[in-house]
Order: sequence, then C-alpha cells, then structure tokens
Amino acid sequence: MVRVAVLSFAHVHAATYIELLRDRDGIELVTADPDAPPDDPTRGRRLAERLGAAYAGTWDEVFALRPDAVVVTSENARHRHLVERAAATGAHVLCEKPLATTEADARAMIDACERAGVSLMTAYPVRFSPAFTALRSAFADGLLGALISVHGANNGSNPARSRPWFADPELAGGGALADHTVHIADLMDALLDGEQAAEVYAQANSILDDGGPVPDVDTAGLVTIRYPSGVVAAVDCSWSHPPDHPTWGGLAMTCVSEKAIVEFDAFPPLLGGFDSTTGRDRWEAGGADLDAAMLDEFLDSIRSGRRPSPDGEAGLRTLRIVLAAYESLRTGQPVALPDPLGVTSG
Amino acid sequence: MAELEVALIGAGGIARTHLPAWVALGARVRLYAPDGRAPALAQEFGATSVGSLPEAIAGAQVVDVCTPTDTHREITLSAVAAGAHVLCEKPLALNAAEAGEMADAAEEAGVKLYPGHVVRFFPAYARLRALVAGGGLGRVAVARFTRTGRYPTWSGWFADPARSGGILTDQMIHDMDIARWLFGDVVRVHARQQGHLTAPAPEGAVATGTAVLTHVGGTLTQIVGVWGPPATPFRTTFHVSGTGGTVQHDSQAHVDLRITGTSGDGPAEGIPAGDFGRSPYLTQIQEFAEAFTGGPEPRVSARDGEAAVRIAEAAAESARTGRAVEISAHPTAVATEGIGW
Repeated sequence: MVRVAVLSFAHVHAATYIELLRDRDGIELVTADPDAPPDDPTRGRRLAERLGAAYAGTWDEVFALRPDAVVVTSENARHRHLVERAAATGAHVLCEKPLATTEADARAMIDACERAGVSLMTAYPVRFSPAFTALRSAFADGLLGALISVHGANNGSNPARSRPWFADPELAGGGALADHTVHIADLMDALLDGEQAAEVYAQANSILDDGGPVPDVDTAGLVTIRYPSGVVAAVDCSWSHPPDHPTWGGLAMTCVSEKAIVEFDAFPPLLGGFDSTTGRDRWEAGGADLDAAMLDEFLDSIRSGRRPSPDGEAGLRTLRIVLAAYESLRTGQPVALPDPLGVTSG
Repeated sequence: MAELEVALIGAGGIARTHLPAWVALGARVRLYAPDGRAPALAQEFGATSVGSLPEAIAGAQVVDVCTPTDTHREITLSAVAAGAHVLCEKPLALNAAEAGEMADAAEEAGVKLYPGHVVRFFPAYARLRALVAGGGLGRVAVARFTRTGRYPTWSGWFADPARSGGILTDQMIHDMDIARWLFGDVVRVHARQQGHLTAPAPEGAVATGTAVLTHVGGTLTQIVGVWGPPATPFRTTFHVSGTGGTVQHDSQAHVDLRITGTSGDGPAEGIPAGDFGRSPYLTQIQEFAEAFTGGPEPRVSARDGEAAVRIAEAAAESARTGRAVEISAHPTAVATEGIGW
C-alpha cells in the first residue's frame, strides 16, 4: 500500500489526480487544502467530501501521516514550501508544472529532494501520450532523419475564470506564457534528450480580456525557442480558446525533419458532430488518459526505486525557458540562456 | 475589356499560371524568356514568342514580370521607362530600397505597378480579411499562418538566397503580406531559418523558417514556412484568435475532390492550383487588368509590395543577426488599409 497525499486544491488538476488515485488499487489517498478560502465549494474539505477522499485539516496533520508520496497542486509560487516539507518527511514528490516561479525556488526544491533521497517529478503528462512515444521512438531510431524545426500550439481557455490566481503574476509567475509554454517545451526536452534551450524570444499581449477589465498578465503569446543543435521551436501558448467551446483547448505540434513532416495531436476528438441541445459543436474527447499514464510513471518509479521522468531538472530546464521568455518581453530581444556546460554555443 | 497587349516575361511555373489567365481575359500576349522555354509555352496557349526583352516590351500596354526575383527591378524599370503598366511577381525585389525605387519610378512615369501577392485573391484569405475587417473576430490577439510545400528544387534559383532571398523572403512573404493586410503595419520582427539554406539544393533538401511579427496595434502573428521533402503536398493553414472567437483554415481539410489510391504517386505539385472554383490567379489578373484599363484600384498596391519586402528584409536581418528588428514608420509608406486598432 502506498500512501499518497494530494497537497492543495489550488490547481484545477488536483481534482483530476484525486479521482485517479482514489480509484486505484494499492493507494491510500489523503488530501489537504488548508489554505483554501473557507467558503469556496470547489476547494478544501467540501471538495474532498464530494470526491470521496480522506481529508486532513492542516499541513501538520497531513505530514504527520508520513505519506510515501505527495502530489503538489498548490499555486505555482507556493510549490516550494510544500516540496521542501515533503522531502523533509521522506516523501517522493510529483509537482504540478511549472515547477516554480523562480530558478532559486526550483533549485532549492531539487536540492531538498536530492538531499532527502526522494524523487522529484514534474507533472508534464503530454509526453506520456502513446502517439508521442511513437514519435520519440521514430526519431530515436533514425526513421525521420534529424529534427529541423517544430511549430506547435498549446491553447486553452483562460484558467483564471475558475481560479483567479492564474492571473496573479506573484502566485502564477506570469500568465499564458508561464502556463502554456512549458508543455511543448517539455516535449522538446523529451525529443532532444534534455538539451537545454540556448535562446528564447517572446512577444505577448493582453488583448483577450475574457470580457473583464484588462488582465494583469499576458493572455496571448508567441515564443520562439532555439536549441544548441540548431533546432527551433515556435510556440503559440495563448489562452485563446473560447471559454464556451465544448473542450478546454488542446495541444498540437508539427515536427519538420529531414525525411518527413510529422503532426502530433495530444487531444484529438474521438467524435464530432453537432449537439442540438446546447447549440454547439459536439466534441467527444479521444486519445489516451495522459494524467493516468503520468501517475503510472510516478507510482512505478516509487515502487521500483528508480528516478522518475521528467524529473525536477527537466522541470527547471523548461522553467528557464519561461523566465527567459519574460525577460525577452521586457527587453524586446531574444534572451540567451546560460549554457549548462559553460561552452558558448553558436 | 479592350484587348490588352501584354508582354509576359519568363516561362517558368508562375508564367504558366498567368498566361492562361491573360488568354482567358482576351489579351494578346507576347512571351519572352531568356532560358529558351518561351516558344513551347506560347504555343501551348496560343500566344506569341519573341526573341528579346526589348522586342517584348515595345508597344506592350502591360508587362507581366514572372522571372527570378533578382531580375524584377531591371525588367520593371525597363517596362516603366517604356510607358507600360507592370504586374510584377512577388517579392517585388530582394530589398525594400529596390522595391521603393520601382514604386517611385512607376509613380513618376504615371503607370501602375502591382505586386503579385496572389494569396490576397485566394478565397479563404479574402474571406478572412472580410471577417476581420467586419469585426467578426472582435479585437485580434494572435494569429498563426503556415505554408508548406515541397522544396522548390525544380528551379535552381529558389534555393539561392542571392536570387530569391530564400524561404523567408520568397515563400513566407506571402503570409507577411496577409498579416499586414489584416492587422496593420509591423513594428518588430524576429525570424529564424534552418535546414538547407544554400544553392544548390539537392532533391530531398528541407528548409523551414519561423517569424514572429508584432503589429502596431499589438496583434501578434506567427508565420511558419516549410520547404519539405519531395512528396510534401502543398498546404496552407491559418488560425486567428480574437475577443470575438477564432477562425481557422486548412487547405487540405475540406477539399472539393480527393483522389487517393492511384499508384506511382510522383513528387507533389509545387505550385498550388487552387480549388475547383475560379483560379485565384485569374481573379488577380482580372482585377489588375481592370485597373490598368482605368478601373478601380485593386486590393494590393506597389507600396503594399514594398512594405511586404521591408518585413521580409527585417526577417532576413533578424535571422542573420539573431536580433529582433524594429521597423520604423517609413516616409514613402502609406498606411495599410489593414484594420488598425
């Protein structure tokens, strides 16, 4: 039996993880959300009860249960204190993305887990898509020749509609650039075997105001990432998906290689059509359950005592891309990332 | 329309799309190409082939320049000097200074010069423009355009940056022009290009380019160009998001007629034939022909062509230097009719 604690329901993914863990054999699930507003029905004990999950009223209480593993789904800037505390109690950590909002926080989290001898995994589910695994294998086996460039879009509706902290630069670390650049950046990290990006250019705006006043954060953005090997990834990370669309958004990318052009859709519809009762397009989601596949990896790594992937370092590499993107917004110019090998790249 | 005397210069892929359009409009066409391919093409469409550029231009009301980009300026200036109107294939020139010189020369001579930014005449793009201009998307935040086809190895000059400008200028200028038409002038450009970027390009070469345009009103455009492997079908897409929703298009998604299963599929076609509606090349040439004969101004001007080259030139500079390049308001530039905010 593995005791897993889901810490904080601030992130919309918390409920998803709770449901998946609750229904799994060999898992003893406990949850905690003590920082939730007391009257919010989508948070705290009320959510735990609705989902049928055990609930601990304080951080002290949940950590006193000595969980084997924790899933951290607090606000981005509030990951660090929970990860450090989990590490101190010897729990393996699956941390929601982005790993943190500063390099110092991410580094501290990685170091704390290293020192404690526990795993730190960053919650990037898309790389667990079987189709992406096939794409990755095709590149690894040389079937497609060298990768030349990638263009992709990870668009969703504005998450601040349901969780306002997503539009709080202090808590979220930014807006759409912080929220949505990292998924495609992680897929690049997987395709390029952990190559740290060399340079990032970003432009953003807040034109998509979601019907309210001008938001505090960027709601649309374009990011161009260059890797030392010469590969370029062009990313649309905008919260441009209409909120009244039948699905939350999606992630698709096209890889242009020496021998082929490969299109990957992480969330293809299984069925389409029209729904006369809502007057909207019908959209029945298809594809594999990527969150479940990611939890498989996390739990399997704990049981077998190996390092999970993507790990904290992968989370830090993709966070650096976000931080560079925001610096690029400030300077209006591409921003070079420090070369981890100390070698100037071309 | 009165019978036009047209000199068509060049006998390559684009000439092959323009010639039937001129013929359909009842123009008399004399064809000249320095590579010796003019007689065969002329014969195919009932046109006349002539032996020199001066012979072609002499007495022509319109000169249609369908030659490699590095020859556009010289041929256009000769045509303008002879008092002919000019349709010049895109890009007008390899740099904005030359494009501006061509536009100035036409203005001074009192003749019309129009660049062949034919994508403005493709139905999906024309409809997109109407949708954006009509406010159907609200205020536009971000747009993506892709343009994918096989690497143009069928003619050696495309791969040569000194002759075509490479993928950023030759191919991606289409969507740079569309983006400016839709969202107004561009103030900042960042671009990258990768893959096979030099001549000669062997069969099987691949190149890609990416550009991010920042428009004066804050709208952002991403442009991706792909010169793909030999069997790459021609395909364009766009996705535009605004406060009023989204619009998207994929030229391969909803085709009028799809035939599969034939054996021995060779390399893909390099130049789009449009769908089974009216040829966008015919729509373009008819609109220009009407303007040449006193009709209303068409949807694209020489200054638009110059502005598109300026964006492409900034993209090329960005790709070369690795920096984002600012474009300041240019004295000769007229404000685009793009939707300003």
